[in-house]
Amino acid sequence: MTHILDTLPLTRLPAPGSYGRTGAPGVTVALREDVAAATLVARRGAGVRLADVVQARFGLTLSDGPRMAGDDALAVLGTGPGRWLTLAQTRPGLAAELASTLDGLAAVTDQSDANILFEINGPRVLDLLAKGATIDLDPEVFRPGDVAVTAIAHVGVTLWRPGEEIAYRALVARSFAPAFARFLIAGGAEYGIGWSRRG
Amino acid sequence: MRIPCPYCGARDAHEFAYLGDATVTRPDPAAPDAEDTFFDYVYLRDNPAGPHSEWWYHASGCRQWVRVARDTRTHAILGTELARKPAGDAA
Repeated sequence: MTHILDTLPLTRLPAPGSYGRTGAPGVTVALREDVAAATLVARRGAGVRLADVVQARFGLTLSDGPRMAGDDALAVLGTGPGRWLTLAQTRPGLAAELASTLDGLAAVTDQSDANILFEINGPRVLDLLAKGATIDLDPEVFRPGDVAVTAIAHVGVTLWRPGEEIAYRALVARSFAPAFARFLIAGGAEYGIGWSRRG
Repeated sequence: MRIPCPYCGARDAHEFAYLGDATVTRPDPAAPDAEDTFFDYVYLRDNPAGPHSEWWYHASGCRQWVRVARDTRTHAILGTELARKPAGDAA
């Protein structure tokens, strides 16, 4: 069932297709590399002004906790005190735009090539993530808009739940993405995995 | 053991790296008795049975240093606080 992992080089991502149990997939995974990303770190004493400018220019409220604001077009995720991750599907110049807009208020670092985004959906998504996550992902606990910087299957991930749907996004460092992909395929084989790539 | 990170919430201890005693303070290296006070600071530790204050680094989470009050007999966590306030004042 998971013969793919016997022959797939450890450094390569799996090809699009179906893995594991046949039939309707229990979990679908889409890899995206077309998302611009940048980290935002508030300069000392500039937190309030930074939040004001982000609100005025982008219409987003910077959370002081592990929460997200925005949507696929532009999202801001809380990753630590005074630290956020911004993601955008339609702004290839995200980091430059933020750096010029937030000059003096925040340190901006382009992360667009640093990570690969996994969109993880499907009726068995929680069964699969439970095999690797140590945080409580119960839908009543990990609510829409919640963010967690954590480890899944010992791989560091930034995980969030974009909306009401029981579906998740996981941002994984590019060099660890093949290991994370192997976890998803090995752990999800019993549910059937539909695997695709975009961007 | 789960540690309630002030930013991230309850997390498994394996997300953290342990530094140790949070009650010691680095002595003044220019003081005349610096050699003795540094010997104490570097090597000598109390071994309390009960509540203890210690540093943990949330390496797999928010990457902040956390001061944790832990009962060494039961591993009960009595409280946690960030080592420093965020650079962005009340962002």
